[in-house]
Amino acid sequence: MNLETKTGNIQDCLQNQAAFCTAACPFGLDVRDFIEKMQRGAFNAAYRLYLNTVGFPGIVSALCDQPCQGVCPRRVTDEAISLRRLEAAALNYARNTEPNNYNLPPKNKKVAIVGAGLSGLACALRLASRKYDVTVFEHSNRIGGHLWEKLPPEVFLPEFERQFMHETTTLRLETEVTSLADLPFDAIYVATGAGGNDFGLVSDPNGAFASTTPGVFIGGSLTVGNTSGSNMQALADGLNVVAAIERYLKVGSMNQPRETLSTKLTLDPARVERSEPVYPADGLAYTRDEAILEAKRCLRCSCDACVRFCDLMHYFKKYPKRIAEEVELTIHPGTLDGNGTIATRFISTCNQCGLCKEICPMDIDTGEFLLQNHRIMREKGAMPWAFHDFWLRDMEFTNGSAAQLARKPAGTVQSKYAFFPGCQLGASAPQYVTESYRWLLGQSPDTALMLQCCGAPAEWAGDEKIHAEVLAQLRENWLELGQPTLVFACPTCKQKFGRYLPEIPGVFLYDLMFAAGLAPAIAGDGETVSVFDPCASRDEPELQQNIRQMVDLAGFNRQPLPLEGKQAACCSWGGQVSTTNPRYAREVVSARITQNDLSYVAYCANCRDIFAVSQKPVYHILDLMFGLHGPNRVPPTLTERRNNRIRLKAQLLSEFWEGESPMEPEKSPIKLTIPPEVRQKLSDDTLLEPEIARVVEHCERSGRKIQHPESGNFSGHLQIGNLTYWAEYHPTEDGFVLVRAYSHRMSIDEAVSDRK
Amino acid sequence: MRLSVTENKVVICFQCQKELQPIKTYLSYLGHSFYAEIPKCPDCGEVYISEELVKSRIAEVEMQLEDK
Repeated sequence: MNLETKTGNIQDCLQNQAAFCTAACPFGLDVRDFIEKMQRGAFNAAYRLYLNTVGFPGIVSALCDQPCQGVCPRRVTDEAISLRRLEAAALNYARNTEPNNYNLPPKNKKVAIVGAGLSGLACALRLASRKYDVTVFEHSNRIGGHLWEKLPPEVFLPEFERQFMHETTTLRLETEVTSLADLPFDAIYVATGAGGNDFGLVSDPNGAFASTTPGVFIGGSLTVGNTSGSNMQALADGLNVVAAIERYLKVGSMNQPRETLSTKLTLDPARVERSEPVYPADGLAYTRDEAILEAKRCLRCSCDACVRFCDLMHYFKKYPKRIAEEVELTIHPGTLDGNGTIATRFISTCNQCGLCKEICPMDIDTGEFLLQNHRIMREKGAMPWAFHDFWLRDMEFTNGSAAQLARKPAGTVQSKYAFFPGCQLGASAPQYVTESYRWLLGQSPDTALMLQCCGAPAEWAGDEKIHAEVLAQLRENWLELGQPTLVFACPTCKQKFGRYLPEIPGVFLYDLMFAAGLAPAIAGDGETVSVFDPCASRDEPELQQNIRQMVDLAGFNRQPLPLEGKQAACCSWGGQVSTTNPRYAREVVSARITQNDLSYVAYCANCRDIFAVSQKPVYHILDLMFGLHGPNRVPPTLTERRNNRIRLKAQLLSEFWEGESPMEPEKSPIKLTIPPEVRQKLSDDTLLEPEIARVVEHCERSGRKIQHPESGNFSGHLQIGNLTYWAEYHPTEDGFVLVRAYSHRMSIDEAVSDRK
Repeated sequence: MRLSVTENKVVICFQCQKELQPIKTYLSYLGHSFYAEIPKCPDCGEVYISEELVKSRIAEVEMQLEDK
């Protein structure tokens, strides 16, 4: 396998795309940042950001024609954010509006600026603050150029005064420059305004503000013309040309193209809630409170669909690019101790539900990215075995002789269908499978049966070798049955077959039931329920619709859930993350079951049982169709789930293949009673009762046990596979009662410790 | 790696009928090996780790090693 980190299309992530307003702003003002400061009343901080971006805040906040308003998503819902008023508020309420005084050594370069309009002065201000020797030539007797036509001089003249207060520049008024060749300067910026002298310069399209004459730059209204908004563009040019001039002064090149801001951001207008615009009560300017209120209307547009929808990204507050970086570091850890493997648990905490791709405007499939890298980690042996050990053993059990079965009905030559209930349906309640199979046989008497696991646990564990073995076995059994169409009860099984065994055709049991017009056995009597779509049904709209119709037919009312259909969310089972990150899994369950107080109808046995364990009333759709259980059925423990699979195979064999008797399960030589509360605790801790019985048996047979004098209990341990199990138990007349059991992942190195 | 162990209650090795004492014991997980003072029979080496210890410090160390 290629051990390179697989990054997919995560580089397309829009997380850092500019907000619409920022992309439209001639200065590229970071509005998200500005607004964040304004929202918390940090006027001074907002002002500094604004000052550094626009050069002359007093002029821009008075004159800007606000192209941002034409792109603000609020303009459709209510009214665009009044950014200019907010900028004026920042200026009005800033503690300190003085410019920064930079203490830098003078630079030994002389720059001439032709034209003392807005663009020329902006350029002069920036260059002077960087301590270049700047001379501004102006043919008239005043500075400001076209500003005189747009603003009262008492607005802009003091602003020039203020911003230049710490800078030294030479201003040559009434000095007509007739030829650039005569100017003894290292670089020249020509900003003579609309209709001004262009000295016959030709713009060089290859460089920002470059002319074809070395060292001479042009910009401002001279190039953009005197149009609406040209003042602001001219000012922005004056600020932006500085980078081009400095590059020329340092390295002599003028071929760096101009940077233009754009954005690929998209925003669903439906997400914009109405919010009344704030107008200044005095008709002129915002008060502090008004400014904060208006700032709070701002959506601070950014692409955050993934962190809002995906449980994993939401819980860890991480965007795909950050995830990709951390995964890269984890797969290729550096040499310093502790700087790698930061994402090991994270990689294994993904539910693999597919919602991230569904809601991402760029179709970034972070889940698939994590799965691919999970496989790399597994291949490297860098993924802790404990994360998936139990579930791989559970799959092995399901596919082993105690529970596995692939049969055609006796005497059948060719089966059109084979029922594939999946490992969890019969584990939840064997009747789900027996009733369904009986019904299928009634429809199509040659229907075969496959009791087997689809391999999802191996996929989720990232174990390609085991996965391939499971898939090969499935394919072989399917071929032996004569290549029937599989009838799935579990959307995950169908999804996995579709991906890994696409040659095997499949349909849903529930679609067949609906098509056959099977009448539900339960009467809902107008009870309102919500259908919980399992995440694996995301791309099965027909199934989702049929389930809803079956629920309607049963006489229930339905209330939709916020996340359903294409946006179905995981119940927490996916990826079998509960061992890796139990707290996260609990959070996911809680988020899913608190969406409303109604009973759910699920059509995935795992969704049903996981929610039911947390006291949520949930019907399985088969409860409705066959009248099997109410919504409050207590789900079986992990041990009971295994026993149910054994029982299911036995029942099916005796009912449909008379004379066949299943293997008798091994009887333990000791009698261990497990009280109900201890049973549930074992299940919660992912412990199986037969394993604990083996510990007690080992202790009793070997005599290797500990005595607790106060309680009269015994304790002992046994390592089975990777895990070390402990049991504390009390002897009774004819056996033992289990008091507690627990396990740990680290192993006791008894051989070494005995040497002491 | 330190696993501080304080077991207050007396526990006795069934085979040797000796009280267990805190004795240096080696443990390993995910290729890391370390030791801790764990109640152990001074004669036969039978150990005892309580549920309390497993659910607290041992679980913590396991998690640290998994995230290492």
